Amino acid sequence: MLNPLEQTIISLQLRVNGLPVQEDVPAQMTLLEFLRQRLRLTGAKEGCGSGECGACTVLLDGRPVNACLVLAAEANDAEIRTIEGEARDGRLTPLQQAFIEHGAIQCGFCTSGMVLSAQALLERNPHPGREEIVEAIAGHLCRCTGYVQIVEAIESVAGKGS
Amino acid sequence: MKYIGKRVPEIHGWAKVTGQATFTDDLRLPGMLHAKILRSPHAHARIRGIDVSKVLQLPGVVTVMTGKDTPGIKYVAQVSDMYPLAMDKVRYVGDPVAVVAAESEEIAREALSLIEVDYEVLPAVFDPREALKQGAPQIHEDKANNLVLTIKRDFGNVDQGFAESDFVFEDEFSTQAVPHCNMEPRSSAALMNTEGVLQIWSGTQSPYFVRKEVAHVCNLPISHVQVMEIHCGGGFGSRSKYCEDEGVTALLAIRTGSPVRITFSREEEMTTTRIRHPFNIHLKTGVKKDGTFVARQMDLIVDKGAYCHYGPAVTGYAAGTAASHYRVPHFRFTGDVVYTNKQAGGPFRGFGAPQAIFAIESQMDTIAEKLGIDPLELRLRNANQSGDTTACGWQITTCGLEECLQKVVSSTNWQEKWKAEKTGRFRQGIGLATAIHVSGSNVFPDGEFSSIEIKMFLDGQVSVYKGSGDTGTWANTVIAQIVAEELQLPMEKVRLISMDTETTPQSLGSFASRVAFEDGNAARMAAIQLRNYLLESASARLQVPGEELQIEQGQIVYQEDAEKRISYGDAVFHSPRCVGHLLNSFYQYVPNTVRLTPQGYANVSAAYAFSAQAAEVEVDTETGQVRVLRFTVAQDVGKAINPIAVEGQIEGALAQGMGYALTEELIVDPETGRVVSDCLDRVMLPTVMDIPQEQIFLVETCDPEGPYGAKGVGEIGLNPTAAAIANAVHNAVGYRAHKLPIEAEDVYYFLHPEKR
Repeated sequence: MLNPLEQTIISLQLRVNGLPVQEDVPAQMTLLEFLRQRLRLTGAKEGCGSGECGACTVLLDGRPVNACLVLAAEANDAEIRTIEGEARDGRLTPLQQAFIEHGAIQCGFCTSGMVLSAQALLERNPHPGREEIVEAIAGHLCRCTGYVQIVEAIESVAGKGS
Repeated sequence: MKYIGKRVPEIHGWAKVTGQATFTDDLRLPGMLHAKILRSPHAHARIRGIDVSKVLQLPGVVTVMTGKDTPGIKYVAQVSDMYPLAMDKVRYVGDPVAVVAAESEEIAREALSLIEVDYEVLPAVFDPREALKQGAPQIHEDKANNLVLTIKRDFGNVDQGFAESDFVFEDEFSTQAVPHCNMEPRSSAALMNTEGVLQIWSGTQSPYFVRKEVAHVCNLPISHVQVMEIHCGGGFGSRSKYCEDEGVTALLAIRTGSPVRITFSREEEMTTTRIRHPFNIHLKTGVKKDGTFVARQMDLIVDKGAYCHYGPAVTGYAAGTAASHYRVPHFRFTGDVVYTNKQAGGPFRGFGAPQAIFAIESQMDTIAEKLGIDPLELRLRNANQSGDTTACGWQITTCGLEECLQKVVSSTNWQEKWKAEKTGRFRQGIGLATAIHVSGSNVFPDGEFSSIEIKMFLDGQVSVYKGSGDTGTWANTVIAQIVAEELQLPMEKVRLISMDTETTPQSLGSFASRVAFEDGNAARMAAIQLRNYLLESASARLQVPGEELQIEQGQIVYQEDAEKRISYGDAVFHSPRCVGHLLNSFYQYVPNTVRLTPQGYANVSAAYAFSAQAAEVEVDTETGQVRVLRFTVAQDVGKAINPIAVEGQIEGALAQGMGYALTEELIVDPETGRVVSDCLDRVMLPTVMDIPQEQIFLVETCDPEGPYGAKGVGEIGLNPTAAAIANAVHNAVGYRAHKLPIEAEDVYYFLHPEKR
């Protein structure tokens, strides 16, 4: 009989939200399971488990990835950013603030992923046009908002600053 | 006003945007077990036996439970027909058969493969019309011909109405099954605490119904079930009453003595939760030459799926909508609610109205065309008006339908676009549709009520206790705004506790577009009462008449002499009503409505909302593809307590309505009954790429019964959307959709019959 407790274990070293993390994990553990179960970082959500909804998006070396499709092992030596690391010292990022002000949040289940994908875009290109914004969040599903206020929130930040 | 009508941000916004908001699957209860449900692979089968002996040999498994290990009590629902775990039969692919609780989800999943079920496979039936025939497989023993019930309505004299009509139109329409596709898959966690109270966490719209159903299937007194506060990742009706996993989780918690959680996979969410009922609709309308409606008859076959849940209520609401949408003097309705061996339907935003309105509004354009009347003019001639009582007894206090229509038409340049010549490969069209909807609906034997408690502390801040859920609709924010307004407190001094059935007074729930309206009225009255208590206390303390006192920024001030003032906290402390340093105010709002009778004639809601929508589409005549270019919406919201929240509801509804019209469908394999579109990609939800330009006008009719004049806004935005798109497609290329979704293939073959 298969014993699921018997697994190949690998040693993992990475940085999560700027802090060093060292853990032994089963080889088949996804990055999402690692973040949610091991590190208790539950801001990334499992909406589908197959890369269709984007709710589990985190930044891997600055790039948005579906954490449900990435093995924890693939994040070895990487820099991971999750939603928990965005606000610092109780101060929201301008993008997070814009999401609140523009009503871009309803149930909130897709919000973490949306914010991180948009943040990654704004770091690549501080002044993206509407098309780039739409493209950046095209892999994220939201069933509540109809996306209008989300796009407006991102646009409001894209139009600001230098 | 300071907070009412203002674009106040979501009070849970900070928690949600930082990832701190806790959803059920984020909970970590000490020693929590994880459970997985074994589901039927057959659409219809008798269970001859279940062998679970191998399961407990798997390390990490704590328990396995089948129907025989439960009290064997069915959920109450509207027709009680479903056990938490199948007892002797399975009736659809996905029916819960057994459940395993283990130390990890992975082990629980693995353990399911060790359960051996001996099934005697039975013939199954998937089409409700087939299910009604003599000799069809019988799904429930007590329902011959699989007919759950027939809902009948007969108002006025329909036969005479048709006889007096100059023209009679008859059409058939059909609509598809759609899953809600909440972003958060179902999750429930439960714990039997040391006091013998079963605590359950479940993102729900109605803790009231969850407590009732869980207590029932666990055979516990309702006082021994506590629904806990937790965030919910989208409702749209899917969580408006109860979900069947809640009973299973609760039973496991009782059996194991440990906290237990069941979280659905996306596939389970798509294939086993309640969905929008498919309708077959026969619509017959009698009209005068000038387009005045005389009589309407709607006959439905409602595909119920394997279990009843709230199917009769949905069907009854479709009847109410069909009797009330436009002025119809004579109305008749039959709705056969029919079991099939498929996933069961349930409440879904609109509650049967989008299906009925798709038919009514599509036929409306056909009638206009045949009579040579402008579709706008035909709608205006038959539009509901303030003061009307509809065929089924709905009393319309305020009606903004005409204003909504005019607004949409004038801002879209309707006449010109409607009449424009359509040529070339890409042809544009414009379509109109309207809707009516309740603000709360008095249909359940449980009653129709919302209650709010407000506690003011010695620091002058308040906690507001609200018994209904907030699935992300900003319901909690709106209630906090109302309390802040009436008590003149800043938003951050109003804390909202919702859902917890132990601490909050009960409300029926967040469904039927009722929460801002009914909980809103309760909150307003509770806050006014608390304000009066403060003034009463201050008056005694300051020795001045209460009517000469004013409240401002946490102070109660004598108008004649501003030196004479006391803080809210002092007023609390000195109030004779103060108990334990708290000043409490309760209010239960019961709308002045009438419970729906079996005949269906009743004023079920205290206010009715209206909406007009124009959809502009572009049809590719080479492929049949339909693209929505623009939505223009004018909605009678009564009063927008929070415009940003109202716009969010409308925009969200438009996206869902567009999906309903063009792409979303739960497709079932006609051979096996298995759901084919079992993931988000296959159901094809709209993405941000599909969202057209949108223009929204909020029409404020200020209903006398609504809080500050507000009406319900949650559902109506979806009701006319599919019809507006269908009418726009017809305007563009002449294709009249009689079924949803509108598929490119059908449009293409209509345009190129020779290619078929």
